[in-house]
Amino acid sequence: MKSFAGLTYYDILNIPANSSFIEIKRAYRDVLAIYNDDSLATYALFPSDERDNLLKTIEGAFSTLIDKGKRVAYDRMLVRSGQVDKSILSREEKKKPIPLFHGKNLTKEDDLVGRVKRKYIEKKVKKLSKNILSKDLISGNDLEALRKAIGIEISEIHVVTKVSIAVLKAIENNQFEDLPSGFYLRNFLKSYSEILQIDSQKIIDGYLKNISHVQKNG
Amino acid sequence: MPVIYPISSGKGGVGKSFIAASIGTLFAKLGKKVVLVDLDLGASNLHTLLGIKNPKNGLNSFLNQTVKKLDRVAVPTIVSNLFFINSLYCSMEIANLYHTQKLKIIRAITKLPFDYIILDLGAGSNFNTLDFFSTSQEGIIICTPEPTSIENCFRFIKAAYLRKLKQIIKRHAFNSAVKNTVFSPNKTKMEAPDIIDVVLKHDPDRENFLKNKLSEFKFKLIINQFRKNIDETLGDKIETVCNRHFYSNFQFLGNISYDERIPESVVSKNIYVNKYPYTTSSADLKKITEKIIKSRRLTSQASKVS
Ligand SMILES: Nc1ncnc2c1ncn2[C@@H]1O[C@H](COP(=O)(O)OP(=O)(O)OP(=O)(O)O)[C@@H](O)[C@H]1O
Ligand SMILES: [Mg+2]
Repeated sequence: MKSFAGLTYYDILNIPANSSFIEIKRAYRDVLAIYNDDSLATYALFPSDERDNLLKTIEGAFSTLIDKGKRVAYDRMLVRSGQVDKSILSREEKKKPIPLFHGKNLTKEDDLVGRVKRKYIEKKVKKLSKNILSKDLISGNDLEALRKAIGIEISEIHVVTKVSIAVLKAIENNQFEDLPSGFYLRNFLKSYSEILQIDSQKIIDGYLKNISHVQKNG
Repeated sequence: MPVIYPISSGKGGVGKSFIAASIGTLFAKLGKKVVLVDLDLGASNLHTLLGIKNPKNGLNSFLNQTVKKLDRVAVPTIVSNLFFINSLYCSMEIANLYHTQKLKIIRAITKLPFDYIILDLGAGSNFNTLDFFSTSQEGIIICTPEPTSIENCFRFIKAAYLRKLKQIIKRHAFNSAVKNTVFSPNKTKMEAPDIIDVVLKHDPDRENFLKNKLSEFKFKLIINQFRKNIDETLGDKIETVCNRHFYSNFQFLGNISYDERIPESVVSKNIYVNKYPYTTSSADLKKITEKIIKSRRLTSQASKVS
């Protein structure tokens, strides 16, 4: 059994480094529901001293991340030790346009897949994805909303899919005139959907349908 | 290449045979050529679930060499495309198979000319079960949402994982310090983390190789006899926690609802998903079947790419 060794507090709570206070609280509750003494999901999985250690680490992660000052100090430490990119330090600053190659550009594809998958445990995310798939016309805004709910950056999609940031943004912003046509667009949509782990065929169909709908109706 | 899906559990009576028969039927209905192999040696009863009264030749005829090839004893069932191999007349002693017999069976199974090969195994972590379970990267583990079943389920996962780990070290080049420590006769109590520590200490260059090999193993988990009042995310939680704390991959395939008509259709020798195709439990089984097929497609695509 692997312990939490080598994981950051963010990894332990299963959240991206730019999570809000509320997201941290929710994540803490979810993680406790898995690791608590009375959790059926880990019944008899860990020897009790091991479970105690895991719970202590979770407690430490939570108490650090909900305390503004402690969190900043922790983030600095992560950056100094090279565990995350320094862009997380700019979290407090006012919203800038999405920076190219945001913090997580070293994320391996596997990590991303795992992160997205874990996010789908949340009802909110599941519901959103179901909702999008039930639509006849799918807009870039839908995709953007899902991506944000899952908590991944455009730059991360770019790193894994190699689709250019400009195209990914154009997809999300419905800038159809900036998009390639036919075959290429389909492929880009497919890659994008696969990262979000949502039915790519439905997304392609709905998105293309939306383009012709918008173009017809001006 | 056929895919082999061994089905096992930590605890008996959780529904392995029922699920084997059900997903076998559903695969077959999708046009796949499927064979169910009853490998619960000494306690086999899969034939009953398939409505087969007096099965004749089976694994026994292959082991005593009455037939040369295993597919000769695969008999058709009432579901077209679905075939069955029994182990009924394998005597009780055979429950403790000799190593050579076991290898012979495993080799013959991997050569069966079918799309899907489903192995109904016994419960628990005995050597036979673990050996058959390890013939494939795609083992399916069944449990029910009770503490005792989950406890045994984790015990089974750990035992299968340990088996896998030892296989990897045995079959590949690790230096003698590692091999000697892991296989030294007086170190029988080593658990998986101990073995991984040994590799990290004595053969650190092989760390990534070992982890990659372990990650090829894709455990699949089904929660059976699911009832309404139970936490729906239980399976997802188990998946999350296992993916975090083991180096192998875990996929939760879904819950199967409890339905009184399941034991009833066993008694009346009907195949449940045929007789009751529109119940919640049948829908659950269909979803699981689709998920298995989908994950197989992804795996084969991924292996083509790499
Ligand atoms: N979802 C379900 N709802 C209700 N009953 C079920 C369900 N699944 C299985 N059963 C019943 O539970 C009993 C045990 O099922 P089954 O024989 O398939 O288990 P098994 O794991 O193969 O057992 P063994 O370990 O003895 O081989 C049977 O009577 C079966 O009909
Ligand atoms: Mg059985």
